[in-house]
Amino acid sequence: MILREAARILEAEILSGEGKLDAEVTYCGAADMMSDILALCRPNQLVLTGYIYPQVIRTALISELLGLVVVRGKSIPPETVEFARQNNFLLMRTKNFMFTACGKLREAGLKGVDER
Amino acid sequence: MNGESRLAKYASLFEEIRARDIMKTPVTTLPPDKKISHAKEMMRIKRFSGLPVVDDERRLLGIITVEDIINALEFGRIDEPIQELMTRKVVAVDVDERLRDIVRKFEEFRYGRFPVVNSENVLQGIISRTDILDGVLEKFDLIYIHDRKRISALESDYSFIPGDKPSDDKADFHYSISTNDIDSAGVGAAILKQFLADRKFPADIARRAGVAVYEAEANVIIHSHSAGDIFCYLHDDMVLIRVVDKGVGIENIELAMMGGYSTASDYVRERGFGAGMGIPNMKRFVDKLAIISEKNGGTQVEMIFYLPEQRT
Repeated sequence: MILREAARILEAEILSGEGKLDAEVTYCGAADMMSDILALCRPNQLVLTGYIYPQVIRTALISELLGLVVVRGKSIPPETVEFARQNNFLLMRTKNFMFTACGKLREAGLKGVDER
Repeated sequence: MNGESRLAKYASLFEEIRARDIMKTPVTTLPPDKKISHAKEMMRIKRFSGLPVVDDERRLLGIITVEDIINALEFGRIDEPIQELMTRKVVAVDVDERLRDIVRKFEEFRYGRFPVVNSENVLQGIISRTDILDGVLEKFDLIYIHDRKRISALESDYSFIPGDKPSDDKADFHYSISTNDIDSAGVGAAILKQFLADRKFPADIARRAGVAVYEAEANVIIHSHSAGDIFCYLHDDMVLIRVVDKGVGIENIELAMMGGYSTASDYVRERGFGAGMGIPNMKRFVDKLAIISEKNGGTQVEMIFYLPEQRT
């Protein structure tokens, strides 16, 4: 699916990197720890996270993720959004909880990196 | 702790080491129809005390050793073909044989080396006692070399860069990790990644280097209680990266190696670090990794990324 579809499924708010929404996405992951995001590290992957600090953007850029979705409607520090904007990185926010968001996307056809 | 239990303790670390991981390749071999004098010369030049003899398809026929040569000299048979005097009953090691069984073979047969063959008896490599030591050390080395002296004590070119330690001012890239602010972890890694991308290094290498250096950089910030440096050296065939600090060193390596163990503070954990996956992650993304650390002696992480033959 394209990212726009994932955003629609999660009823996500696009905070930055809107131009990236037409990119194709196959794999998705979920992690709160930076090391876990790095370990998931497969380029062109979407990651759901509960982490809201700017560091997560840097981690996502190094890992070449397609985009990040912050779950549970958390309030995200403006620095994080600003950092994402500077790098034209797709940052979204959904009101769904982590489990729900993961479930919806998987049901819609996204795979985990441990799946073929 | 006696040797036995110490071995048992680390047994799981070495469990997955197979002959193929520690064997030396390519192997200098001899054809069966050449003269023994030729074997003698080869062994003199190459400084080997034994060489495998193979047929045209590299199937193992035998092995010729210094002892065989001495016998040949003694009985005036030096001009005879190798196959006349070589040892035919060769004890070989299978490529998939485990380290434990290989060690047993060394103990049982007291040979200096074993040829390594596949199921078709085709020669794949050779293992000497030194290779076993190297293999075991390398396994540690992937994670930890406690003592610098051990490196210089090894005769093989164990250091990644043969010869002197790469000097800091010869680095092609340098970044100072001068902060203890966890929020800036990864800045150096990002700059280094861009540096590699700008120089047209393969995207895959830039990405893996970025991730591994990010982890190392976070470790300096979280654990070292000191400043640190990232150095990168560009070579024709590889990218060498060193992340060094003069901090407190790694106190308990066995724990640091273990995925999920961390000494990070609650604050650091809140910031998404301290999952205890730093070193395991680094291992995943580098081609070769050595961590040299001593308590209060700083930590030095060396990473190698091998380049594909042709760089565009």
